[in-house]
Amino acid sequence: MTNANRLRASVPLWAGLTFASFGAVMGLALSDAIDSTTAMILLIVPAALFFQTMRAANRAADNRGPCSAKGEAQQRYIKRVMVFSSAYLVAIALQVSLLSDSDPSMAARVALALLPAFAIIGVFWAIGRLIVEEQDEFLRMLIVRQALIATGFALAAATLWGFLESTGVVVHLDAYWWAVAWFFGQFVGALANRISYGTWGAL
Amino acid sequence: MKNRLKVLRAERDWSQQQLADLLEVSRQSVNAIETGRYDPSLPLAFRIAEVFELGIEEIFQREA
Repeated sequence: MTNANRLRASVPLWAGLTFASFGAVMGLALSDAIDSTTAMILLIVPAALFFQTMRAANRAADNRGPCSAKGEAQQRYIKRVMVFSSAYLVAIALQVSLLSDSDPSMAARVALALLPAFAIIGVFWAIGRLIVEEQDEFLRMLIVRQALIATGFALAAATLWGFLESTGVVVHLDAYWWAVAWFFGQFVGALANRISYGTWGAL
Repeated sequence: MKNRLKVLRAERDWSQQQLADLLEVSRQSVNAIETGRYDPSLPLAFRIAEVFELGIEEIFQREA
């Protein structure tokens, strides 16, 4: 394996980059260096890096034994997430261009707000479908475990932040950040799966 | 629960992937069951028993 290939397959490298980019975007957003729209666009970077981390982790697992193809349910999941991620980027681009150039009607503003929301909800739906369609009971258990850990992480973060915000310790955060926290929680869940079951899981 | 999956697989000279293909599960599943990290459901335990042509109790035993 060449050095470039070894780097490409390095799970700690991709995981580190995911953490670093997420931290950087959050840092910039919380310090008001960038506005929330820019932050939401930039979050696609840690999301893409997280996917790469999981791909490298799965490749590493496959390399320990004979290669195994991804299941059909996982392939469908990846396609669905790609569709919704693309829709999210288009929706954010529309929002930025239409809201900054003119003063659209209330109906248009509602539609522009709902578009990226539905794209994110689409990813939640894709994870739900993966749980329903995955035929491998062990992998299904890992996905459910990962989602539960992510839910606990996001709820805990929202609760802590909410009380800190109510006492004026931290700044106000728009509620969609808890969806972001949930996606970050997926990484925590994958890490927990790795520690408990020796595999990063299927997401 | 402990199991004899690794021994039975070695006796037949099967890789984890070959056993996974026979069971129609992932290699990670076979590995997790073999290492005792995951106890399979009853339907999967029956499928494992069928593949090895043994009784479930000859493959899986309760921890002493």
